[in-house]
Amino acid sequence: MRGKFLKVAVAATATAMLATACSSGGDDNESAGQTGGTLRVYNAEPAFLTPSGGDDEPSLYVIRQLYRGLVKYNAETSAVEMDLAESVESDDQKLWTIKLKSGYTFDNGEPVNADAFLRSWNYAAYGPNAQNNGYFMKRIAGKADVAPADPDGEGPKKAPEPTAETMSGLKKVDDLTFTVELDAPFSGFPTTIGYPGFFPMAQACVDDIAKCNETPIGNGPYKIDGSWQHNVAINLVRSDSWKGEPGKPDRIEYRIFADIDAGYAAFQAGELDVLYTLPPARYKEAKAQYGDRMYESPGDSFTYVGMPLYQDAFKDKRIRQALSLSIDRQSIIDAVFDGRFTPATGYVAPTFEGAREGVCKYCAKDVEKAKQLLAEAGGWPAGEKLILWANAGAGHDLWLQAVGDQIKEALGIDYELKVNLQFAEYLETADQKKFTGGFRLGWGPDYPFMETFLYPLYGTGAGSNNSGYTNPEFDALMKEGDSADSIQAAIPSYQKAEDILGEDLPVIPMWFNKVGAVYSENVDQFVWNAVSDADYGAISLKQN
Amino acid sequence: MGRYVIRRLLQFIPTVLGTMFLLHYMTSLAIQFSGNPVRALFGDRTPPPALLQAITERLGYGDPCLDQRGNPCFGLFLDRLQNIFFHFDFGINLRQREVTDLVADAIPFTLKLLVIAIVFEAVVGIAAGVLAGLRGGSFTDYLVKISTVFVISVPIFVLGVVVREFVGVKFGNVLRGQDWIPDVISAGMFSPGFKPDYPLASLVIPGMVLGAVSLATTARLTRTSIMENIRADYVRTAKAKGLTNKRVIGVHTLRNSLIPVITFLGVDIGAAMAGAVVTETIFNVPGIGRLVTMSARTGESSVVVGVVTMLVLVVLIANLLVDLLYAVLDPRIRYE
Repeated sequence: MRGKFLKVAVAATATAMLATACSSGGDDNESAGQTGGTLRVYNAEPAFLTPSGGDDEPSLYVIRQLYRGLVKYNAETSAVEMDLAESVESDDQKLWTIKLKSGYTFDNGEPVNADAFLRSWNYAAYGPNAQNNGYFMKRIAGKADVAPADPDGEGPKKAPEPTAETMSGLKKVDDLTFTVELDAPFSGFPTTIGYPGFFPMAQACVDDIAKCNETPIGNGPYKIDGSWQHNVAINLVRSDSWKGEPGKPDRIEYRIFADIDAGYAAFQAGELDVLYTLPPARYKEAKAQYGDRMYESPGDSFTYVGMPLYQDAFKDKRIRQALSLSIDRQSIIDAVFDGRFTPATGYVAPTFEGAREGVCKYCAKDVEKAKQLLAEAGGWPAGEKLILWANAGAGHDLWLQAVGDQIKEALGIDYELKVNLQFAEYLETADQKKFTGGFRLGWGPDYPFMETFLYPLYGTGAGSNNSGYTNPEFDALMKEGDSADSIQAAIPSYQKAEDILGEDLPVIPMWFNKVGAVYSENVDQFVWNAVSDADYGAISLKQN
Repeated sequence: MGRYVIRRLLQFIPTVLGTMFLLHYMTSLAIQFSGNPVRALFGDRTPPPALLQAITERLGYGDPCLDQRGNPCFGLFLDRLQNIFFHFDFGINLRQREVTDLVADAIPFTLKLLVIAIVFEAVVGIAAGVLAGLRGGSFTDYLVKISTVFVISVPIFVLGVVVREFVGVKFGNVLRGQDWIPDVISAGMFSPGFKPDYPLASLVIPGMVLGAVSLATTARLTRTSIMENIRADYVRTAKAKGLTNKRVIGVHTLRNSLIPVITFLGVDIGAAMAGAVVTETIFNVPGIGRLVTMSARTGESSVVVGVVTMLVLVVLIANLLVDLLYAVLDPRIRYE
């Protein structure tokens, strides 16, 4: 298990030096952090404050304090712990039985029962509701009936009307029990349901979703004070109806910024207690200035150069291996990004259970071997340029150029950057598989289970498999992991599947991000959750 | 006068329609050439086609003409006009919020900012101009001349960032360290950006930055105008009549010198709106300018068309008012 240690905020007060190793979510930290005070944090404008709608970082930061779901994640190890659920069990990994703890309510008094979850999941999945988190319901049986696929994609024919309003895979057993049937066995199901898209919604919320978006009816440790002040602020106060472990601050104030630089200025001026991200250009400066109040840890956001396996030039795996062997990742990270990334040596984020180093044997620079492999494969098509794609306006051209230069130096393949497409068109090009060379893309996990880094990107016909990779052996191993008896039992199969990728290189792994956050002198203990990032409810403030 | 106003109001119609069509055409071209903005919402996570289509339809990007490069989408434009003028419906943004709500939320901030900017540039600019103009060649004159050149030559986005970092953060932190300074000054006025706790005080410095560039022009205009008028016959007459200096300067010279300045200030409201796009983003003011910046970044055509149309109306009305004010200030001008 590759857990990571929480950086402990050391409270250097005049009277005492406190150095207490803390963990959130455990029972032992009731005494560790003091409660009370107002925590002021940076946020961007959220898209939605409903569990079914909000899928962007600023939304999730607020929703996670307003709502609570079936399970939560351990701050350090990212292991699944029961939150509102009493148990989540299955014999065949296909039909899951979920029992709820009793006594929880929404802020308006409605009970958090089986209906609250079924209502929320069905609402998210129903096509005409057009909820962003409908995507996450894809494994539940009957999803296709509530959101049918368009027969001709973007074409002129309209998608057929849904034939059902609720997913057939969801069944209520009694008030506090329900069953979830999946399309196919999936051992990682319990890890997925801690994502806010699976949080419950009150009937009053679904009845008037627009109002619920402005003044959320949550079931978590905090409730909204007033309403969402768009583009200005969102204020949360402690909720009396919450029966679980109470949050540390009495009040959480989210100040909304349009621009991270303005947020950093506000932090410098002492107006914010937590800034969960840093402007890239100020990263070094922040590290120097706030050294002991800066939290840094390896992140889980993956950047890769995809290989269009649908183009002849990239079909031979030795060509892909040679390209990967020509790149010195660390030197690019140091030169272009001030060291803000960790070179990737595998396909799964290093913070994840089951991740190993050195899975990709072609990810360290070795020019001799690269030349040899290229020669064995018959060389690069004469006179052709290697085209490298990235979306415009996001600064990717800088590092991609370094990649191109290194390949040119090592293998003598001339390259050309194609970085003029805006993000939307770039993604459409990816969806339509029209890239003519290596393409930059990234991936962030949907849930803390290594499968999220594998199947969606490399499974045959999977949604984000942009390189068009197909390998029956890989698919079989993924299936084997999916139907394993437990999360732990699934890992060996997934690791074998990852080994195949390390040999085949459907995409060239580049690096994983590093998380950088700063906090103010008012903060006593800073808590960063390995899955859900800064955990505002668990951060304690110094009390005078 | 009445007929003049009506004629001017009628001229608004083609101007507004023309602007709207240009905006519509440009935002449609942006979608045709750079892809469906709804797809970008999902990022690396390829959405199921059904979901993508449902959201695209709901947000109004589903018209097939948006797939044909160069197509001016007249049908869509007519729909848009119909919705705006008959139902007062400007459409929704990518987060399914009504554009009218977005504007209603944002406008108070921008108005406050504009008032601060205009008052600042009018009061300080005219005072500096008068001081410099009355004593040409003196130390004050040179001071005003040099400092205005300096301010004019620094672009507003540079000035804004410099003020935020040095006045808001560095100098502000020094003030915040002093207990005797009231919070409204140290934490409010010298905040590096808009702050909900001090909604007015924290807008003062952003407003001053917004007004700074035009302040220089105002000062120089006033100075030149005063220098010209002080030698005019009617001023000499006034002096010869034995009027007090205060009356000669205040009524006879200044009032006549202000005519070009007022024109400039009026036209400047439009320029200040454009400046607000930059200033509001730098100082995190949740006003119209920041709204336009954010929607332009994400390609929300309904917001861009709606807000910029409203800005055009503001500029047109401001210009009309300035022209009417002209007649009040200058008795020689009559509108028939």
